[in-house]
Amino acid sequence: MGNGLRVPLSRLRVKNMKVLSWENSDRLFLLGRYSERAYSTIKLFSNQFDSMIDLKNDEDIEAFTKRFCFLEDEPDSIYSNLMKAYDNAILLRDEIGSDTLCYIQLAVYEMNKARESDAPILALQRVTDNIVAFWGIVDDSVDEPNVRSIIKLGKRIERIDSYARMKMAAKEIQREMKRLNIRIERTGLNYDAQKLFHLNLLMESEELDYDMIVQDIESLVLNEKQYFAQASGM
Amino acid sequence: MQITDIKRFCAHSDSVNELLARYGVKFGIYKNNTFKEQLFPFDMIPRVIEKDEFNYLERGLKQRVKALNEFIKDIYSKKQIIKDGIVPEEFVYAGSGYLAQCEGVIPSKGIYSHISGIDLVQGKDKNWYILEDNLRIPSGASYPMIARDLCRKGFPSLFEENHIEDNRNYAKLLRKIMDNVNTGGHTVILSPGRYNAAYFEHSYLAEQTGSHLATGSELTVEGDYLYFIDYSGKKEKVGAVYRRISDEFLDPMNFREDSVIGIPHIYDIFRKGNVALINAPGNGVADDKGIYYFVPKMVKYYLDEEPVLQNAPTYLPFYKEDMKYVLENFDSLVLKDVAEAGGYGVVFGSKMTQKEKADFIKLLKENPRRFIAQEVIDFLDIDIYEGGEFVPRKADLRAFVLMADEPMVWKSGLTRFSRNPDSFIVNSSQGGGFKDTWVMV
Repeated sequence: MGNGLRVPLSRLRVKNMKVLSWENSDRLFLLGRYSERAYSTIKLFSNQFDSMIDLKNDEDIEAFTKRFCFLEDEPDSIYSNLMKAYDNAILLRDEIGSDTLCYIQLAVYEMNKARESDAPILALQRVTDNIVAFWGIVDDSVDEPNVRSIIKLGKRIERIDSYARMKMAAKEIQREMKRLNIRIERTGLNYDAQKLFHLNLLMESEELDYDMIVQDIESLVLNEKQYFAQASGM
Repeated sequence: MQITDIKRFCAHSDSVNELLARYGVKFGIYKNNTFKEQLFPFDMIPRVIEKDEFNYLERGLKQRVKALNEFIKDIYSKKQIIKDGIVPEEFVYAGSGYLAQCEGVIPSKGIYSHISGIDLVQGKDKNWYILEDNLRIPSGASYPMIARDLCRKGFPSLFEENHIEDNRNYAKLLRKIMDNVNTGGHTVILSPGRYNAAYFEHSYLAEQTGSHLATGSELTVEGDYLYFIDYSGKKEKVGAVYRRISDEFLDPMNFREDSVIGIPHIYDIFRKGNVALINAPGNGVADDKGIYYFVPKMVKYYLDEEPVLQNAPTYLPFYKEDMKYVLENFDSLVLKDVAEAGGYGVVFGSKMTQKEKADFIKLLKENPRRFIAQEVIDFLDIDIYEGGEFVPRKADLRAFVLMADEPMVWKSGLTRFSRNPDSFIVNSSQGGGFKDTWVMV
């Protein structure tokens, strides 16, 4: 093929990969994405919070904090994102183990405490501590390479996506892209190899096309339906 | 154990309960149509069963489960126990546990109840009484198993000095019974999903036994075999399914057609011997509260032995003489609706108002088959540690019998206690807590 790819849909299956259902491969991927989203949003919000104090805001800063961080029915709140990570994690005990799962559980407990706290931003630190511990123990305790790699790929994709949306410096995104390139083959996931190739080309541009990066990264990994649709040429 | 040791042990109750929360040791409960997860409170003081006493229980439990297994086999084949007039057919066929679809179906190795949860209480007279048999999908073994693991880590000297059977082998026993009937292929624990009350247990046992945890949508029947579809699209054959879905929802093609959590045609391939179902469908015919009355008779009938363990004295208002006794002694009896479970449908004659009593008796006379009556057993109280003090509470014991070629009794059990000092209801769904059960070596 002209672009140097062997197949349009790469499905390299590493020998002795753990047998996983479609559902669980999706859940692992989403666990990676949502844990990263909760983590990076807390970090970003904590950094911005300080400058918000000195600005004249339309909305009371404490009310805004409550809404942005803790509203259950606000799908983009940090709380909602962490709960989505938990909703996936709780279904994966047999894949990742109780010792790994418990750090997401602890992050949820800390999130609930932060919600009740008089100083929620300080209390959110414990949430990020547990998410970081979760990633650490994924590396340390999850023996199956495909299980571990899918979580990490989800995390990587989420990071590239959010960095691109925030139009962060090229070197930050390129660094994540390098990590993604190493990781993706180890997952056994179905992905669109042409999009991966294209993403790598985008990374070489002097000025990053952020919108195109978002578009490609969001559709890089194929779910069951997309995979069968593409495989059957639909 | 010395009292000082117990106090030292109990002082760390909060730490152990915090760790249980960390591992998500919870159960789900529906209240007002809303699902909530609740922690299952753990009391540090174990129920201790001495070796000789446990040997006696073990003998009785094995005997009972063997007889129950024979009964199920008989009911779905020759029905000799009915023909011989030991069990009236009304009690077999009118119960919700009997499934006509199971007629003539013999599971692998003739084992129906691979996992039996037998509930017992110890009376103040120190005698043990069977309260009920659970042969469908009994739950609860995971709780003492994980609690023991934490307690051993916290208090190694206590376990070093006291010789206690290690109950963490439950997963190994479970795996053994799964492998014993596996028809060739992966082992799966089939769960209705995370909103099931016992979801923690499903996921924990999958982890501990090295099985796949799956829901119905992850499995498919094709060409007379069951497959787990891998994310590569590859089909992996499944040989044994420890299903935690009740019979009626297991297969919409054979049982309830509106089930969306089952696997279409799984029962067809089970019938052909191409997959093992643990426990076998149809077991409910033997654990109906109405059938319970007849279990000691089954022991004599099938095994030609005297029952080792006794039922709580039970009356069937279905029989005229029993109805007479129930009406005359109403205030001293506990009445149970045979269709209910989980501590629901249980009423104490002594606690009813005159109107409630009159309404109940009317219902009882209209539907005598629907209820059983039992003497209220004065449970032996066991202590729990609450607010820095030891206080007595009612408690039962769920013993687990696992059947491979021969029955094996797990040397532990789930001890459930009532947190309410005035209550006999120990079920977790009604606010009860649990204890570990130590069987001494």
